[in-house]
Amino acid sequence: MENVTSVPSRTQPETRFQRWRDTWSRHRLAYRMIAPTVVAMLLVHLVPTIEALYMSMLDLNQYTLGQFLRAPFIGLANYRFLLLTPDNPIVHGLGQATRNTLIYSVAVNTTTLGLGMVAALLLNRRFWWRGLARTLILMPWVVPTYAVGLLWGMMWLRERGAINVILVDWLHLLDQRPFWLIGPNTLWAIIIPTAWRQLPFATIMLLSALQTVPEDLYDAAVVDGASSWQRFRYVTLPWIKPVVAIMLLWGMIFTFFGYNIVVMMFGNGGGYPGEWGDLLMPALERQSFRYWLFGLGAAASTLMMIGMMFFVFVWYRTFQSSLTQE
Amino acid sequence: MSPTYYRIRRRVLDRLADLLLIAIILLVLFPIFWMIVNSLRTNQDILTATTLLPQKLQFHNYRDLWAQVDFGRYFRNSLIVCGVTTIVVSLLATLSGYALARFRFPGADVFGLAVLGTQLIPGILFLLPLYGNFILIKKRLGVPLVGTNFGAIVLYTAFFLPLSLWILRSFFATIPRELEEAALIDGATPFAAFWRIALPLARPGIVATAIYVFLSAWDELLFAWVLNVKTIPVGIRLFVGQYTNRFDLMSAAAVVSTIPVLVIFFLLQRQMISGLTAGAIK
Repeated sequence: MENVTSVPSRTQPETRFQRWRDTWSRHRLAYRMIAPTVVAMLLVHLVPTIEALYMSMLDLNQYTLGQFLRAPFIGLANYRFLLLTPDNPIVHGLGQATRNTLIYSVAVNTTTLGLGMVAALLLNRRFWWRGLARTLILMPWVVPTYAVGLLWGMMWLRERGAINVILVDWLHLLDQRPFWLIGPNTLWAIIIPTAWRQLPFATIMLLSALQTVPEDLYDAAVVDGASSWQRFRYVTLPWIKPVVAIMLLWGMIFTFFGYNIVVMMFGNGGGYPGEWGDLLMPALERQSFRYWLFGLGAAASTLMMIGMMFFVFVWYRTFQSSLTQE
Repeated sequence: MSPTYYRIRRRVLDRLADLLLIAIILLVLFPIFWMIVNSLRTNQDILTATTLLPQKLQFHNYRDLWAQVDFGRYFRNSLIVCGVTTIVVSLLATLSGYALARFRFPGADVFGLAVLGTQLIPGILFLLPLYGNFILIKKRLGVPLVGTNFGAIVLYTAFFLPLSLWILRSFFATIPRELEEAALIDGATPFAAFWRIALPLARPGIVATAIYVFLSAWDELLFAWVLNVKTIPVGIRLFVGQYTNRFDLMSAAAVVSTIPVLVIFFLLQRQMISGLTAGAIK
C-alpha cells in the first residue's frame, strides 16, 4: 500500500493487476451484470468449441470414446479424409447433404422473401379485415417445426397424402401419383414446408419495415410521375434493404442449421432422409452419434462453421453500405 | 383519361389484391386445417377418405394418445424445462442486456461481438464435446446431466442467452436515459436506477424476450434427443417410430404440441411479434 501511494511509483506505469483492479472498480456494476452471462457462454459456448476444434484432430471413434480428449492425436487426418476421399461412403453422403443444404437454403429464403414481400404489400393497404388477415397469415408460425415435419410428412404420402389427393384425384393436374418422399422430389418435400413455416415471419418483418417508409417519399415520387413499379423499385426497396439483409442472414442461419423438419418427415423420425432429403445437421448427427465418429464429426462441423463464417463475410461485404447507412 | 377511369381501375385492382390475399391465406391455412381434421378422424377414415370433412367427428384420438404414450409426462417435462429456462434466461439477459445498452466498459465490444458470434456455431459442433463433458461430470462428480431436465435447463439457458440479451439490449436502448439520470442526481445508486426505473419501462421487452425463449425451447429437438431428455419433441419422435401407420394419433400429437404455442400467440400476439422483429432487426 505504501508503495502505491509513494511519489515515485505514481510516475511509473501501474502493474497490470492494478490496471485491471482499477477498471473493475470503475465499471463494477456493468461487469457484475454481465458476469453470469459470460460464465454461461464460456462454459457452454467457448470451452466446448475449443474442445471440438481439438477433437477434430483426434482419432475419436467408438473404440477410443472412453478416452475422450486423450484419444490418439492424428493432426489433420480427419480433414484430409473429408476433403480428399470423396468416394468414401460417409464423405460422399456428407457431400450430398452439403449440396442439398445449399439448394434448400437458397430456395427457402428466396421463396419466403419473395412471397413474404407479396403478402406484406397486400397487407399494407387499408381494408377492414386487415387485422384478421394478418393473424391468419401468421398461423403456420405457431406450429412447432417438429410438428411441421410430421404434418407434411403425412401430406406428402403417395397414396393417401393430401397433396396427391388434391393434385391427382381432385384437380387432375397430374396423371400419375408422384413419389414425394423418394428421389429428387424430396428436395421439394422439405423446401415447401420450411418456406410455409417461415413465410409468416418474413411477412410480418417486411410489413413492419414497409410501415416505416415515409409517406412523403411516395408523394414526391408521384409528383415526379413514377409508376407504381418504379415507386416500389426506387423508393420502397432501398428503404427496406437493411431489413431484407438482416432477414436473409437469419434465414440462412435457420436453414443452414435446419434439423427438425427433415428429421421428423422421413423414416418416422429415425430413418435416413435419402440422398435428396438429407441436410448437414441431420447427417452429422447421424454419423457422429449412430456410429460414434466423434473426431470426424467434429472436423466436419468445423468445416461447416468455416462455411458459415465465409457466408457471413460475403453477406457483410454485400450489404455493408446499406447496413451502416442507418 | 378521365378521373373516373382511374377510380374504377383502382377499385378493380384493389379487389384483385383482396382475392390474391384470400388465396394466399387459404393456401397457408390448409395444412393446419388438415392437421386438425385428421386428428378428429379414425385411422380407417384417413386411409380411405376422399372428402375434406370427416364423416363423423370423434375425439378419442386425444384420449388414446394420452393413454398410450404417457404424453402427460412429456408434456410436464417440456413445461418444466421451458418454464425454468425462460425465467433464468429472462433474468440474466435483462441484466446483461441493460449493461450492454447503458454502460461503456472495456470489453463491451468484444462481448457484443461474441454474443453474435455464438449464432454462427453449428449446434452439432459443441454437442459432441458437451456430450463427452456431461458423461465425465457424471462419472467424476456424480451430477446427472444426461437424460435429466436439469441438464436440458443448463444447456438451453446458455443457448438462448445470447440472442435474448441482444433483443433486450435493443429494448433498453429505446428507453430514454434522462429518467435514470434524474434518479441518479436525486441520489439513487446506479443499480436502483436500473431496478426502479429502467426495468418497469422495459417490461414489454422482457415479456417479448420470455416468449421468444419459451417458444425456442419448446421447439428444440436435436439436443433433447441426443441427451435423452424426455420433452415433447423427443416423445413425439419416439412415438412416431413406434406407431408407424397411426396417422390419427400422429395428427393428434401434432395438434397437442401446437396448442400451448397457439394459446401464447392469442394472449400475447403483440409482444410476440415485437420481440421477434426487434431481435431480428437490431
